[in-house]
This record gives sequence, C-alpha cells and structure tokens, in this order.
Amino acid sequence: MIPAKTIFFMSIFSTQTVLLVSLGYFALLFLVAWYAERCRKTGHRLLKNSHVYSLSLAVYCTSWTFYGSVGKAATSGLEFLPIYLGPTLIAFAWWFLLRKMVRICKQQNITSIADFLSSRYDRSSVLGAIVTLFAVFGITPYIALQLKAISHTLDILSGPLAVPGTGLYAYASKLPGTIDTAFLVAILLAIFGMLFGARTLDSSEKHEGLVVAVAFESIVKLIAFLAVGIFVTYGLFDGFIDIFQRFLEQFPERRDLLTLGTEQTPYTKWFTLIILSMAAVMFLPRQFHIMITENVDEQHIKAAMWKFPAYLFLMNLFVLPIALGGLILNGGDATQADYFVLTLPLSSGQPWLALLVFIGGVSASAGMVMVSSVTIATMILNHLVMPIILKMNVQAQNFPGLLINIKRLGIIGVIFVGYFYFKVIGDSYALVNIGLISFAAATQFAPGVIGALFWKRANSKAAIAGISFGFVLWFYTLLIPAFVRSGWLHSDILQNGPYGIHLLNPLELFGLRGFDIHTHSLFWSMLFNLAAYLTLSFFATQTKSERIQAEKFVDVFVEKSLKPGKLKRISKAPTIMEFVELMAKFIGKKPAQTAITEYLSQQDISAKGNLSDHEIPNLKNFAERTLAGHVGAAPARIILDNYLSARGSEMEDVFDIFGTVTISHASSREQLSVLYDAAQIVSSEVDFQETLDNILELLAQQFKFDLCVIRLLEPESMTLIVKSLVGTSSEHFGQFERNLNMETYIGQAFMSNATTVVNDTAHIEKPASAEHIKRDGITCLAHTPIVFEGEPIGILSAFSKTAKGIFTNEFIALFENLAGQIGIAWRNDQQLQKLLQGREQEREMQIAKDIQKGLLPTNLPTLGNIAIAGLCVPAHQVGGDYYDFIERNSTSYDLIIADVSGHNIGSALIMAETRTFIHARMHNIKQPAKMLQALNSYFLKDLDRSELFVTMFYLQYNPVNHRLIYGNAGHNTPLLWKKRKRKIMNLDAEGLIFGIKNNITFEQNATDLETGDILLLYTDGIIEAENKDNVFFGIERLGKLLEECEDLDPQELIDRIMIQGRIFTGMRHFNDDVTLVVMKVLK
Amino acid sequence: MKESQRSSIREAWILCLILGLIMINFPFIQIFNTVRLIFGIPILVLYFFIGWPASIAVIWFFVRYIESGSQDSSAIVGDKSDP
Repeated sequence: MIPAKTIFFMSIFSTQTVLLVSLGYFALLFLVAWYAERCRKTGHRLLKNSHVYSLSLAVYCTSWTFYGSVGKAATSGLEFLPIYLGPTLIAFAWWFLLRKMVRICKQQNITSIADFLSSRYDRSSVLGAIVTLFAVFGITPYIALQLKAISHTLDILSGPLAVPGTGLYAYASKLPGTIDTAFLVAILLAIFGMLFGARTLDSSEKHEGLVVAVAFESIVKLIAFLAVGIFVTYGLFDGFIDIFQRFLEQFPERRDLLTLGTEQTPYTKWFTLIILSMAAVMFLPRQFHIMITENVDEQHIKAAMWKFPAYLFLMNLFVLPIALGGLILNGGDATQADYFVLTLPLSSGQPWLALLVFIGGVSASAGMVMVSSVTIATMILNHLVMPIILKMNVQAQNFPGLLINIKRLGIIGVIFVGYFYFKVIGDSYALVNIGLISFAAATQFAPGVIGALFWKRANSKAAIAGISFGFVLWFYTLLIPAFVRSGWLHSDILQNGPYGIHLLNPLELFGLRGFDIHTHSLFWSMLFNLAAYLTLSFFATQTKSERIQAEKFVDVFVEKSLKPGKLKRISKAPTIMEFVELMAKFIGKKPAQTAITEYLSQQDISAKGNLSDHEIPNLKNFAERTLAGHVGAAPARIILDNYLSARGSEMEDVFDIFGTVTISHASSREQLSVLYDAAQIVSSEVDFQETLDNILELLAQQFKFDLCVIRLLEPESMTLIVKSLVGTSSEHFGQFERNLNMETYIGQAFMSNATTVVNDTAHIEKPASAEHIKRDGITCLAHTPIVFEGEPIGILSAFSKTAKGIFTNEFIALFENLAGQIGIAWRNDQQLQKLLQGREQEREMQIAKDIQKGLLPTNLPTLGNIAIAGLCVPAHQVGGDYYDFIERNSTSYDLIIADVSGHNIGSALIMAETRTFIHARMHNIKQPAKMLQALNSYFLKDLDRSELFVTMFYLQYNPVNHRLIYGNAGHNTPLLWKKRKRKIMNLDAEGLIFGIKNNITFEQNATDLETGDILLLYTDGIIEAENKDNVFFGIERLGKLLEECEDLDPQELIDRIMIQGRIFTGMRHFNDDVTLVVMKVLK
Repeated sequence: MKESQRSSIREAWILCLILGLIMINFPFIQIFNTVRLIFGIPILVLYFFIGWPASIAVIWFFVRYIESGSQDSSAIVGDKSDP
C-alpha cells in the first residue's frame, strides 16, 4: 500500500511517540471541552464570543481539505478551489438566509436539518425519516474518509508499516485481528462525542464543550497548514514566484493545472463544484448543527460572514505552492499527492513539523467526525427511533435515560458504520471523491430548505417527493458507480448500463453524455428533485397546521403584532402540572420544571395562578417546542397529539372568537351561531321544560361541559329548584335545592345578581362548596343569574370535570347572554300561563254571568194596576247587584234591591245566596223588617269571612189598599214620585248594612201610593257614575230626570236614565254595577 | 431598521452573490484563463487570490454598514422574537 519510496523516512518517530502525542492531543481536546463546560456553568460562556462561532464553522475544513486539497491541486489543478469559493459566495447571503434559519430554529427549538425540514413540512415524520436516512447514507462515506485519513497518516508517520510486528502493529496485533488504528481512533472519537455531544438529551441546548473543542481544532489545523505552507514556500523554495517558475520550467506539459476549461477541470465541473459547496456549507448536517443549532447570538453571523471566508482563504493560500512544490520535489509523481502536506516536512528532515501537520490533520478529521456523529445520532434518535418508540408505546421507568442512551449508542453506531464503510469500500476511491458524494447529498436538501424559508405554498408532499427523488437519483448516479469502483458491483453496469440497458447507465443516464460524474449526478438529481418539489407545491394542498407552520417560517421576521391572532382553544385542556408531567416523562423532571418556570414567568397569569383559556394552546405549543428540542419536531407533535387525544382534548376552532372579539362588538360567526341556536330554541313553540332542556343540551355540547343545570327560584320557600339538568351529576350538584346565602357560589351569584366563576377549583374560597366540588371532581364552574326585569329569577350553572380556566371574559359574556335567553323563555312561559288562565276564567265567568242573569227576573209581569221594569248592568261579567220582584199572593208583591260590595264572583255568590234565602223564607217571614233581620243574622258569618257587605232595600206593596211597607239595610233610599203632589220623596227607614252586627232591629215604615206615582229603586252605580270632571251623576239629577219623565212607562224610563247616565259619563260602560227598578202605579 | 432599508440591504447581498457567481464562472473567467505570468504568478491564480480577499473585504464593509445602521433596531427585534 505504501509506496516503497516513502519508507526511507519512516523510522523517525517511534510508534509510541506518535501514539502518545496523539493521545496527548486528544487529552488536550477533552480538557478544552471540559474547560468550556465549566466556564458555562460559572456563567462565563465561551460561545458568546463570535470568534468561537466563526472558528467552529471551519469544521467545514476536514481532512479532505487538509490533505485532499493539495492532492487535488497536484492532480487536477485549480479544481480544489470551488469547494472554498462556493462558501465565500454564499456568505453574502447569510444575513438574510442563515439569520432567518437561526431565528426559526430558535423559535421552534429545531435541532437538525431533518428536524428543520420535518418541522416546516407539516411536522412530517416521513420526511424526517427520509432526510435522516439520506444523511446517514450521505455522511457515512465522509466519516469513513476522516478515519481513513487519520489512520493512514498515523501509519505514515509512525514507522515501517510494511514490516509486521513492529510499529503500531506491535500493539494492534495484541488486539483481535480486525482491529487497526482507525478502529482505535473511532473509539476515541466516539467517547468524545458521547461525553460532549450527548451529555443531555436536549439537542437544542448548546454543546459548549464540543463547539469550543471544534473551534480549538480549527485553530490547530490552520496553524499546522500555514506552518507547512510557509515551510514549503519559503523553506524549501524561494517564495511563490520561485515555485511557479520552477514548476512551469520543469513540467511545461502540466501547465493545464493552472488554467480552467481543461479536460481535467471543465467549466461545467467547476460550476457544479461551486454549487455543491454552496449548498454543502449550509446543509451538511454538521454544518447545519454548528451554524444554526449551536448559534447563541444572531450577531455572530455578521462576524462569521467575513471571518469564515477569510479562514478558508488562509487555508487555501498555500495549497498550490505545496502541491506544485511537492510535484517538483517528487519528480512529478502525484500518486501520494494527498499526503504531500505530511511527507514534504518528513522528507525534508522536519519531523516535528510533520508531527504538527499530523495533529492538524487529526484535528480536521476529529472535529468533523465528532460533530457529524452527534448530529446524525440526534437525527436517528428523533426521526427513526422515536417514531418507532412512540408507535410501539414503549414503557420505560426512566424515559429520558433510555433516550440519551439510545443517542449515545447512535453516536457509536454512526462512527462505526463509517469505520466499516472505510474498511469495505474506502481504500478503493480517492479521498476527494468520497467528500463530493456527501456534498451532493446535502445539495438535495437545498430546494426544500430554501422553499421552507421563502415560499409559503411549498408543502410536505412536495418536499417528500423532491427529496426522495433527489435521494434515489443521487444514489443511482453517485453511490452505484462508487460501489462498482470498489468492486461490489460488476463494472459492466458503468459500461453498458444495468442488464445492458444503455439508457440506465448510472454515468450516462437517459443517454446524457459528456459530463463528469458530479455534474451528471447534480443535473439529474436536481432536475427530478426540483420538478417534483415545484409541481407538487403548486398542485397539492396544504393542511391548516402546515399553513400555520409555513407562516411561522416564512414570516419569522414579521413582527408578531402584525399577524392576526391565531387563537385556538383546547377542550378538556390539561393543566399546567399535567403538561409538566408529560414533558418530564420524556425529558426528565428537572429540565421540564425549569422550562415551565421560564415560560410562566413570561405569561400573564391570573391572581389565582390560572392560565386563561387562550393561553392553554400557547402552553401546548410551548410544551411541543420544548419536547422538540429533545426529541425532534415530528415526535414532539406525535407525543402531544397522542396525549391530548387520549384524554379527549381537541384543538377547536370554534373558540377562536374568544381571543379576539367581544360579544357586544363584532361577534364571530360561531359565537353568533350558538346564540342564534339558543334564540331558535326559545322562540320555538315547545313547552318551557323542553326549551330549558334544549338550551342546556346546546350549552353542554358546544362547550363540552360535564354538567349544566338551570335552577329557578321558588318564591314561597325562597329556594332554587332544579328545573333542568344535562350531563352526569351527583345528587348534590344535580338534585339539591339551594338555599340562598352567600356561603355558596350559587347563592352568591343569585344574591349579588352577578356571574360567579371559579376557573380552577383547586383555589376556592368557599369552604361550604369545597367539599362537594372536590368529591365530584369538578375542576371549574360558573353560575350566572337568570334575570327578568333586573331581578334574578334563577341560576344557570355549568361545570367541567376536566378543563380549567375556560371561563374567559368573552365566554362569560356568551354565558350571560344565554341566561338572558332563558329569562326570555321564562317570561314567555309566564305570559302564556296567564293567558291560558285568563281564558279559562273568562269561560267560567261567562257561565257565572249567564247563571246570574237567570237569577234576575227577566220578564217582569205586567199587572193590571202596576207596571214594573228592572235592569241590572254588571260592570264586569258578574256583579253584586240584585233586584227581584216576587208575587207573594194576589194581595201583595215583594220588591227587593240589593248591592253586594265588589263586582266579582264572590259578590255574585253572595247575591245568589241572598236570592235563595229570600225565595226560600219569604213564606215564613212576612214583614220586610223581619226579612232584613233574618238576612242579617244569616249573612253575618259569611260576610264577615269574605269581607263583603250587603245593602238592601226591601219593599212590600199591596195593590189592593195601595200600601207600601218597606225596610232598609243601609241601601240608597229609593225615590218616589208623588204625581199628585208633583214632588219627589225619599223612602227611608233605619237599618244597618248586613254583616256588621248581630241582632239589629230594622225599622219598618209605610206609605200609600196613588195612581201615577212612580217608585224608582237604584244602586249607587248610577248616582256615583262620574264624568271626567269627577262630578257624580247624583240623586238630584236622577230625581229631576224622574220628574221630567213621569209620563214614560217604566221600561222607557229606565232606558232614558241609562242614556242620560252614559251621556253624563261620556262612556259606554259604567264603572260599577248599575241596577234600576221602576214601578208605576197605574190605578 | 426600516422595511425598505432592510430589503435594500437584502437586494445588495443578492446582487453581490450573483455578481460573484458570474465573476468566477464561465465565460467571465475565460478572460483570465491563460498561463501568462504577472509578477511571476499565473494570471488566473492571481485573479483568484486577489479577488477572493477583495470579496471578503466587501463583506466586511457591508457588515460594518449593517452594524452601524441597524445596531439598535435589530437588537430589539432579536429580543422580541423569542417567545
């Protein structure tokens, strides 16, 4: 393997020395890393230094740069340059490209390029897995390259490898046969990676030690390279000019090395390499990690924009002189040009310089391997292992511990896959080509990442398709040829294509000839990648969550206040503590608590320690981001989604409204729809009970309450009685009547006539309620009074057993509005009841009226010697007036007029009773006074009880002797028109109204009537009829009327009086019952 | 930094990027693609190794410009962005 020519300088260092120096250097690296971690703990963060950031970016310069550049320059001339010109160019874009990525990753806790893509594209687990697989395939050869470089240079430096049993083999032989130097190096690097790259699970946290060690290595490799460059240029030669001159003199046929557009380096290849390196410096997983994940300050980017290109410039300044000088010194032999950097000092008798170069080379390799392995291990854990763990629902006592161990295992795994790749395939292929395979892989991420940053429409299907196509084409056009050249596959494939199909030749796909392998591969992979990505982005639709995520990425610099609120609500939301427990399960208790404390310190929390309804989704997002920092975006989402769905929680759009508007102003559609539905229920013609049930059903459904209750006041007992109930309840909350006092929340709501809300029953102030609330597992509750005309008539209550803090001001407004609707339903019901009652009464009154009417003598007899007429007009349906005319025998008639106080059914009953009594007893009681006395005795009890009283005028007329005897019980005195005397006289007799006193003696008077005399009996309804000037109709007016109308017959007289009465009052109806009886003596 | 100022800076960066891409690619590079020596160094090598630090200097000047123009406002934006 090692050319014989190089053997002569190989015994300069003993193997022990080289090994000791190497181990010493690794020890120094550990020390640096440890120191950085210590500084971080004491608060003096080395990462705050922008030099550290810029230097750590130089992890880009691997052994490929360190050794390979010179090799490339010696064989292909300027072809090494574009790998470093590309990054310099892209640095122009860092201020808007890199800074944007850094900002997004910080906001979203993104940990890797796979996480970035998966997070942006709908948190797709599939995409994360594809990118991870791609990275594993793409980076493993690169790691192999580093291990190869270290082991090879170690072998070169440490002695006669060709002689088994000496040098390193002396040690290696004691180990199992397959173990060699590269294996030992791999172990060392794996240990370093595990110690400083997988200390904690949180990948979004900074790996201070790792980064500082990488920065340190960058200094070492630059110094080493500059040292050897200066040594060659000015030690072995006389400066740049001397080298160029001697080279052109000695090898004029190789002047092509100093130009472009040659067979070696065609312009297409040149361009391809620039593009590849521009993408690689941004999107190689390790670059992404160092540049973005490990960035602590966006301002560092500004420094890195020029410091990093300057570093690259210095790294490349002496590449050509060393390469050309090496060629000159080696007589034009370029076979070992990859190791000129090492062999030139060795052959010139500068072993210590060679040792420095070796250490520089180790630095270049080690930095890359450490960062790459940690990065890829993180990606494997988050995007390949986590989804499986979550899917299989693995239970573990110490979940964070399990995960961190998987990550450590991943680091070892990645490094050793690289090692085996090196063992199997590595030796067959020139170093630089392996590096370019990785670059080409990273380039496939470019469309997805750039689209993620600037194109909202780009979606997950497009990204998955684009990257998958890129992956397949990359594999086919780059890896297959590599396998062929390593002898794994038959070389015929590269000649004639697989199965002799020329069109499928990996080097001339679809017949595309005339390009180098990299240009060819880049063209096809990018064509398919871009075509799929753009096409699907145009035609596939995004999910809502993806659109939100796209906005978060693309508009990351847009001030938050400019964006409309994207507020959501989680039904049955977990509490803060439950979120903490969830996070603790995956990331450990302490980190979870630290994270939540930090978060809560920035939130508005109510005095009771609750988050408001619309803060819960933010908390959910925060929990997701925190988890994402440890396990990646896609697994974090799966964890949160599983958790929420397991407890029946849902993100609901319905409640967007509450975060943004209040009910009184611009109510949103959903909000209005709830109220509209409630109004519909109220106005529908179902009975009151059904209305209440329906409203509660609506409330419970819309807001996912566990229990909703309507209680109405029972005015007599002053308790709240359950009228309607929806949901499950214990006896206490559902059934019990509530006394009204301020010791319960419901009592407080009723008595203060204001909504009472308990957003978290963990903090309640009323011990009377606490016991029941706790026993029933109520987590939050609200009571609002149902108000009618300002007075509370009941309480609307809502209880939840899972959610907390859901009663925002906006919700309360809606809740009160619903209570208002119930109030309206109640009023409607009350009115309806009254109406029905009224109708019923009216019907009954009509019957009473008819009966009462039948009790009056409708057809008064027209007798030979007297004419008589009567009229009773009740003010309402029934009245208390009564008149009667009874023929006792052929010689006398009884004439009665009475007035029971009031005009209601009670009066009517008394009136009926009066009539019955008179009719029943008149044959036994012959005298008016006696009759009155008997009536008084009879009525005394009844009237006293009913608080009524009766006046009556009782007359008895004998038509034979024309004698009229009469008694009075407090009634209006009848008028008697004496025709002969042309005078009106009042008939009066002593006597109290009925129902006042027992054993009253009624005076009985008598008078004689003559022909033409008119007797007018009346009740106060006519004489107390009022006109609008509050003047009574009066007895005088009545008497005058009687005088004027003496010639009219009784009926006409009554009609006239009624007409005059109505004219006087100006109304159709009288306010009191009006009764008139007229008797005229004919002869 | 005002939005217009920010976007003008962004445009300047993109312009530099495109200009750089042109200047190190065919056909522009063809101008220097000979083995003629200037000061004893091949002209193409000289072009790259002078052009390269020159572009780094451009970035350096630009960065200084953003720094002076945006120090305050970008710092504020940076603070606000963290949720």
